[in-house]
Amino acid sequence: MRKQGYWGFIFTFPFLLQLVVFFIFPFLFSLYLTFTKWDLFNPPQWVGLKNWIQFLSRETFWLSLRNILYFSVLFIPLQTAFALILAYLLNRQIAGKALFRMVYFLPVITPWVAGGMIWLWIYHNDYGILNWLLERLRLSPVDWVRSGHWWIVIGSIAVVNIWKGAGYSMVLILAGMQNISNEMVEAARMDGASGWTLFAKITLPIVSPMVYMVMILSTISAFHAFDVFLVMLGDITAVADRNMVPNILIYRDAFMNFKMGGASAMAWGLFLIILAATLMQKKLEKRWVHYE
Amino acid sequence: MKALKIAFTSILIALSVAACSTNQTENKPSGGNAPNTDNPPPKEVELKIGLPGGYDITSKKIIDGFQAKYPNIKLEIEEAPWADFTTKIITRIAGNNPPDIWFQENAVILGYGARGVAENLEPYIKRDLKTEDYAEALFSARTADGKVYGIPHGINAGALAYNKTIFQENKIPFPTDDWTYQDMIDTAKKLTKDTDGDGKPDIYGFQTGNNITLGWLPWMKAAGGSALDASLTKAAFTDPKSIEGLTYWADTINKLKISPSRELAKTGKFFENGKAAMVFLQYSSQVPINKNNPDMDWDTVKMPVGFNGSRFVPMVVNEWMIYSKAKPEAKEAAWTFLNYYLSDEAQTFLSESGASLPVKKTALEAVEKMTFKPGNKKAYTEGIKEAGGTLDENPTWNEWRAAANPILDDIMDGKRSPEEGAKEIQQKVQAILDENQ
Repeated sequence: MRKQGYWGFIFTFPFLLQLVVFFIFPFLFSLYLTFTKWDLFNPPQWVGLKNWIQFLSRETFWLSLRNILYFSVLFIPLQTAFALILAYLLNRQIAGKALFRMVYFLPVITPWVAGGMIWLWIYHNDYGILNWLLERLRLSPVDWVRSGHWWIVIGSIAVVNIWKGAGYSMVLILAGMQNISNEMVEAARMDGASGWTLFAKITLPIVSPMVYMVMILSTISAFHAFDVFLVMLGDITAVADRNMVPNILIYRDAFMNFKMGGASAMAWGLFLIILAATLMQKKLEKRWVHYE
Repeated sequence: MKALKIAFTSILIALSVAACSTNQTENKPSGGNAPNTDNPPPKEVELKIGLPGGYDITSKKIIDGFQAKYPNIKLEIEEAPWADFTTKIITRIAGNNPPDIWFQENAVILGYGARGVAENLEPYIKRDLKTEDYAEALFSARTADGKVYGIPHGINAGALAYNKTIFQENKIPFPTDDWTYQDMIDTAKKLTKDTDGDGKPDIYGFQTGNNITLGWLPWMKAAGGSALDASLTKAAFTDPKSIEGLTYWADTINKLKISPSRELAKTGKFFENGKAAMVFLQYSSQVPINKNNPDMDWDTVKMPVGFNGSRFVPMVVNEWMIYSKAKPEAKEAAWTFLNYYLSDEAQTFLSESGASLPVKKTALEAVEKMTFKPGNKKAYTEGIKEAGGTLDENPTWNEWRAAANPILDDIMDGKRSPEEGAKEIQQKVQAILDENQ
């Protein structure tokens, strides 16, 4: 090994150590746990494929998967579209631009507890503004987060997550838009492009790598969604099966019911699903993402 | 000279006997054989005590009193809000780094006992305590095989609290200890009023609880049902009496409309704000009520007599447990702490704090004479003696409760009928009980 390489290794050693201790070891250990029964306090016992078979045949897991897929279908495209529109509007020459950027970014830095409280008030059956509006329109009120219909509950929660996450995605896309050179826009204008054509033919292709990144990040965060469900559904011990999502199920099994093996198997199942979704998006990338 | 020799030899023999006896005491293994706490070892010991809820729950006077009495035991106190403590403690145990002694809910402690985390305190109790000096609740953490995994931090019982002003304004006599659930419902109907004419009640006669302690379980027991059978291994939700109790419970909101709904109750403290005339109230709740609403005129009577003619007083008993893998000397020190905790002095400090009712009978009697509200503390103390019962607790209590809770919420919200809901709960709870047999 050359001397420089040796020093390089020494300097990166603390980071490698951290990687091994906090990432590689837990990653592999959790894989091992999927084949064991472990209550956290006593040594793990080998049970073979039992945990995998058990979680695949568990109704609650499939319900949670249905919910998170529905959540993703709402959340990913709507958040991306919303962020794209906001970024496009805020990239124009308008008065008070800095103020609007801040306003749309504010939910990102608002703590979940505070944001969740606001939305719970908006959704409140008796005092909420949404039901108040419905009442004014002579429509019957909706039980937004306590409905017996899972699709209303999960849909309402997806809206909250879009509100919270769109600002971050907007900043990423906005950064991409600001890289578009004035010359290119001017040239397009001289050729007669304006409005929608300018957006669809110039802006969108140029920011498509950013949009793609936002979609990948949104997909991962959708499958990871935990805080939003925790805050909106209230007591974690009282989440109905019809409103369950994988992360709450995993958390509950692992840390409340001390079933680390089963929880690890579910976590790995979820990991494989996210991997498949991301690979699928990667495959479709070539069709619409434009790199200069 | 001879006399001097005899005296010298006697002193030597006396010293050797003393030395031997000291060695015998010190060499006793902890755990199986309880240590002798009459003569605490003079050597310094470190004891890590976990205080969930900090000094709001564990009176500082107890800690200071213990420290003054046992200066050789150096306390390392770890206090945290209850929720943070209970979240962290699991990973701390998994990492073999929890405090030597702390307290949690009885059911959690039973679960820790089943997993070998909590020390069996039965030998210690047998050796050092006169059990007849304590309320039966001392043994709330006893399992079927006789092991005892915790010492009560205190008893938090339920009673029927009522707002005197609302009763007086409506010229209705106050509740009594002889009241039945039916009396309570009938009176609540009279007290529920829409004062501003918007079609919605502004004062409710009763506020129904949604949890196991003050909500659905007392109603099920009032009809003669229960969550689990006596062996705590079979679910009893589909027992017709249990369903009957659930029906009475949900009807208070959905049919009789004498109670605010679950969602409404979440956003307003109805009893505290004088918007509900009656509520089932745990003993510890008087601390925030007396602090935040000192002028409110209220009192308590015993939990009403059930529809089946018998009374049930729900009790939450949090327990102190000793970590089974703590060092032997730390276990000894922890038991010394518990022994002090159960002494007259510490039990009096506990009573004065108002956070919980003591388990020592003498201190329990003294509570009745205390002057803070509620005036009638016998509703709790005598209620416990007459009909105190824990909440069908077993090592899987948290797990089966989590399975039942969302369905019970649906029943309370009127989204599902008690019969239909009970059927589903029965299936889920029984599966959990079977899996953990």
